[in-house]
Amino acid sequence: MKQILLITDGGSNVGESPVVAAAQAYAEGITVNVAGVVDEGTIGEYGAAEIAEIARAGGGISQIVTSRQLSRTVQMMTRQTIAGSIRQAVNQELRQLFGVDNVGALPPPKRAEVVKVMEEMEETMSLSVALLIDASASMKPKLHAVEEAIRDLTLSLQARTGKSRVSVFHFPGDAQYSYCVMDAGWTSDANKIRSLFGKIRMRGTTPTGPALLQVVDFIRETCGKIGKTELMDTPSQATRGELNEVRSDYVV
Amino acid sequence: MRCGVTTSSDRQPLPRGTEIRGKWNGRLYRLERLLGLGSNGQVYLASSDNRINYAVKLGLETAELQGEANILASLDQSEKGRQSFLVDVDDVVLEGKTVPFYVMRYVPGSPVKDYLRQNGTHWLGVIGYRLLERLTQLHDAGWVFGDIKSDNVLVGEYGRVELVDYGGASAIGRSVRQFTEIYDRGYWSAGSRTADPAYDHFAVALLWLHALDGKRLIQLTRTLLPQNRHPRELMKLVRSHSRLLPLEAWMEKALTGQFESTKDASRQWRESVRISQKPKTEGDRVPGWMVGLLGVAIAISTSVAAIWLFD
Repeated sequence: MKQILLITDGGSNVGESPVVAAAQAYAEGITVNVAGVVDEGTIGEYGAAEIAEIARAGGGISQIVTSRQLSRTVQMMTRQTIAGSIRQAVNQELRQLFGVDNVGALPPPKRAEVVKVMEEMEETMSLSVALLIDASASMKPKLHAVEEAIRDLTLSLQARTGKSRVSVFHFPGDAQYSYCVMDAGWTSDANKIRSLFGKIRMRGTTPTGPALLQVVDFIRETCGKIGKTELMDTPSQATRGELNEVRSDYVV
Repeated sequence: MRCGVTTSSDRQPLPRGTEIRGKWNGRLYRLERLLGLGSNGQVYLASSDNRINYAVKLGLETAELQGEANILASLDQSEKGRQSFLVDVDDVVLEGKTVPFYVMRYVPGSPVKDYLRQNGTHWLGVIGYRLLERLTQLHDAGWVFGDIKSDNVLVGEYGRVELVDYGGASAIGRSVRQFTEIYDRGYWSAGSRTADPAYDHFAVALLWLHALDGKRLIQLTRTLLPQNRHPRELMKLVRSHSRLLPLEAWMEKALTGQFESTKDASRQWRESVRISQKPKTEGDRVPGWMVGLLGVAIAISTSVAAIWLFD
């Protein structure tokens, strides 16, 4: 399963609509979740509405939280998305096989059996989460919390039985045609997620949509053909090396 | 991976006396009062057939609730010889909505933090021993409790310990299903979130820190930078607390995952507590002859005074 987790604090203002970008991601089998981080004041009506809509378009969930709550929110969203997609798949099977709408329609003893299988899938299914971080100027004081949340998520994913990995991107990029920059390629090692954003130059624009699309491209390139039912990933070593070089070019 | 995100707290608790009848099994329960709000449901004290000894958990998500009930059922399977935890699993229709629920045996008692505050910290030894003995059984059966915290460790009369909320338990080797941030080994950079007995040992050590020195512990979590979270910071608290200092060696082993087994942790706990109960050196005690001498001195001085007065 593939997920993009967008962490942002406000409305996009450059390029393609992030709602359309999220819808495209979902069409390619990638679920988009959004965490809106707000410490002082409010995120604004416009920002809040956009965050909710990006998640809806991306088949995911959204939540607006303070940076203190970010770690647990990120984990809860990741886990709920896995559980949700498995539930969906299982409910579909149940409809076809038994003509019932969902697990709840089964008598408790049967339900117990089905849930056992679902939990087994949740624990063993392979998972790739690309984190896309809004690093526009207003996010600067929150980046420590973001980094901590990413490290914490990686730690939890490491404990899963199934293969799990994360990659980290931030936007805006430094060059004119790069909307986002990769900070870490696919990794399952929490220790590698340290001081990611130390050298970021904060800029004003928020090209959320274009950045999302760039991450979708990355996932396509590194995860091969994406199918909704695909449960195994094949990482491509060559592409990974290439992208790491790209990184050193951008983050100076 | 559930970590205390409350999604159901905004829901109003059901009024006392609400009756719920299971759709499948037909048993009737009368809700007496709300016991607690979990991350995924509400737990009520309930009676059935006029006996008040059930805890009913009403959930939001069928699969999630069934997952918890499955754990209780597996525990009942793997720990034969005790009373069953799981009593019933069913659905009830409330205001037109189908709500899943399961029923457990009710466990009376107060959270360990409150118990120690009300009854004194000299109960720590017994409670700690009982808790580790319970965890030994659980670990031997192949399970890790995971979400050890004051609210989940209930103490009844004379320091009898019962764990509650087994819904967060994890099979050894799997990822920890449910934890509380400040009790979490991963949070303190002291290891993984894979369920193993040492995960619980770590949380038990945090439980004592939280119960006896909660203010400073919370203060520490607020001020420490994430990269500095480490067992050594916790050991600083242990060494500067008079009640925890005698348990220093045990705490250090628990925080750094050095017990061979939970049995070993339990044995060493008992030893540490026994040592702390004995006077430190001979010099601390007043020898008998000194007490005698004092008595004699008082007797002599009073008789001298009496003689002088009556003279």
